Amino acid sequence: MIHDFLAIGALACFTLGALAAIAGFRFAAFKRSGWQFFFAGLGALLKSAAIGAACRSATTHFFNSDADIYGLMAWALALSYLLALFVSGARSLGALALPVVAVLTLMSIVSDDTQTPMSTPPALFATHIICAFLGYGLFLTACAASVLYLEQNRLLKRKTFGVLFQDLPSLERMERLEILCSRLGLFVFTIALGTGIEMALKSSGTNWLDWKIVSTFVTWLVFFALVTGRAMHWINGRTAAKCVLAGAVLVFITFTLGHPQEKHAAVPTMRSIPAVCGRFA
Amino acid sequence: MSAAISHGEALSVIGLSHHKAPVSLRERLAFRPEDVSKALGGILARGFHEAIILSTCNRVEIYSVAGEGGDPGVRIREFLSEYHGVPEADFSGALYHHRGIDTIRHLFEVAASLDSQILGETEILAQSKEAYRVASESGACGRTLRSVFERAFFLSKELRADGGIGRSQASVSSAAVALAKKLFELENRTVLVVGTGEMATGIVRALKSAGVADIWVASRTESRAQEFAAKEGGKPCHMKNLEDYLAKVDIVLVSSAAPHYIIGPKEIEAIASKRRNRTLCLIDISVPRNVDPAVHDLDDTFLYDIDDLEEVARDGRMEREAVAARWRPKLAEDARELLRILHGSEPRETAKKLLEHAEGLRDTITKEYTRGLDPKAAEALSRALERLQGKLLHGPLDTLKQAAREGGGTDASAWVSRLFRLQNDAANEAVSGDRAFKSPAPKEGPSQDKADEPCKRRDERTDAAPERMDSGGSDVAFAAN
Repeated sequence: MIHDFLAIGALACFTLGALAAIAGFRFAAFKRSGWQFFFAGLGALLKSAAIGAACRSATTHFFNSDADIYGLMAWALALSYLLALFVSGARSLGALALPVVAVLTLMSIVSDDTQTPMSTPPALFATHIICAFLGYGLFLTACAASVLYLEQNRLLKRKTFGVLFQDLPSLERMERLEILCSRLGLFVFTIALGTGIEMALKSSGTNWLDWKIVSTFVTWLVFFALVTGRAMHWINGRTAAKCVLAGAVLVFITFTLGHPQEKHAAVPTMRSIPAVCGRFA
Repeated sequence: MSAAISHGEALSVIGLSHHKAPVSLRERLAFRPEDVSKALGGILARGFHEAIILSTCNRVEIYSVAGEGGDPGVRIREFLSEYHGVPEADFSGALYHHRGIDTIRHLFEVAASLDSQILGETEILAQSKEAYRVASESGACGRTLRSVFERAFFLSKELRADGGIGRSQASVSSAAVALAKKLFELENRTVLVVGTGEMATGIVRALKSAGVADIWVASRTESRAQEFAAKEGGKPCHMKNLEDYLAKVDIVLVSSAAPHYIIGPKEIEAIASKRRNRTLCLIDISVPRNVDPAVHDLDDTFLYDIDDLEEVARDGRMEREAVAARWRPKLAEDARELLRILHGSEPRETAKKLLEHAEGLRDTITKEYTRGLDPKAAEALSRALERLQGKLLHGPLDTLKQAAREGGGTDASAWVSRLFRLQNDAANEAVSGDRAFKSPAPKEGPSQDKADEPCKRRDERTDAAPERMDSGGSDVAFAAN
């Protein structure tokens, strides 16, 4: 029960952070990244506490209900965003990332939280799922940086020097952030891939041509190619940003293809409003 | 010249600016610094008494005091068209023409940067002073334009001291830095400066203070590149190796006076493989432009010209607009006051000239008729002539004095000049007296030279005139003032 209240607190913080990020484009008082750092940081803290509390109260495996998955995704994205904000100070990134975090947190509250018993060792599964989600979060943050890069590039090419132009960071800063998130994402995603393979080997009857496994591997390949190509100076600038966007589409496909393994529903089951209300009654 | 054209009426400005004319048009009508003196000669040859050419990246303006020869606007348009080889139809729609008080007010606003795209920019004052200096040295700047320009410089300084406008240090330099910062972090970047113009200095300094590490300087004149590099802490390089440096650097600042493109898409494409898709920022502040605009269409290459920089620098305009709004009425009032002074000086000049003319004649007659006379008789004759002069001139001088006080000084001056055949009216005197322009324009006929010599002698006597004259002392005082 306590984790639900903590999640609601996190939702409030993420929503305020998102509003502050959007208001920053118009009001000078919100132009400093301090507001977003505060709200996103507090939200991430509350969300971490919510996840911890949920883990303690879990009867079977944690991280395998729809509510857990959305919550974990929100948490991973919030952490990635905080890292990006800390490294680059790119305040405008919050206008893209924080609304998504808020929506995911909301979905984690209203989604089905029924957990499924699994044969996989809990520690291995937890490592796999945390690394996978952190990877997703970092890749999505890289995607947000790419969107901003492409937008700033467009404004610079069209010579449109409006409010958005003034607020967006430099192309170089966005590119650096994009590559940093891609590298870190690739690192944790590789761990997730390794643990995923181990889990697949342990569970008998795994189909290696499962769409989820294929899309995960393709996502990994795209980001590996991007990071390598960038390191070798083969690609950069707009090409790199477009590669990240392509990778983000794959992340989305991989994510929606179903979690956890034992659940085969591509579309998560939503709890009915009375059920949600009943949880807090 | 028709004396009926007063200082105020003959004073005009014709030009075009960023308000209506894009840089592509401004660059076609821009004057190269080394050609301004020659161009001034061309204007004076068209019957103008004074002229100043203000040619900056924002504007091309010709301030003039017109003489006879028809509408000054038509003459300047013809001059611009012939000088630059641009059909009138191409630019006449963007031209503005202010006369009299509007000219003065316009110049005040220009020099104070209230008419600039970047309110509070500092370059325009220096550019106006340079235009004034060149015109003065060429002998094209007379009393009227000198009065107007010097007052404009004074007011500009006063306005900047007021704060607000100058405080934000908005300028092309800071805009260039702000724009470059949207492309990359400036720390440890390398800059190539092509051309060593005044504005390039400002931008280089701004870039350096933003953290730029290396500065390479290329110029068509090698000594200038060396001098610039030594002054700004850069390294000189050869123009012929431009492509090698283009491959290395991150920012290229072009401020050359070349009349054609120095850098085009070919040059950039040639170095693309060497650059390995690194972003290249080109800032072209030359007018006419020296970088082909097509360069901007290439990947990873960004080109900005002077109009773009000024667009960027609009940030913070509201605060400065408030200061500008406060100052505009004051500038308009100052313009009216200056015009009053200019109008008032015209009858005074004519009165002075009339006195000098009369004293010259009296002097000649006295010398002629007192030769051989005893001193007493000579003195009596001299006094008689002096009294006669005083009485004869009392009427015209009083009329001029009254006209200066009540208005209509221009007409009165014109009539007096015509009646007494004063060879130079006030406006013309401003030209002939203040300048040593050796222009081909013939001015006021052969009597000019003859009149000059006695004038020197007459000047010495004018100071003592009030003591010696029985009547018309106040007239002389009026003329002397």
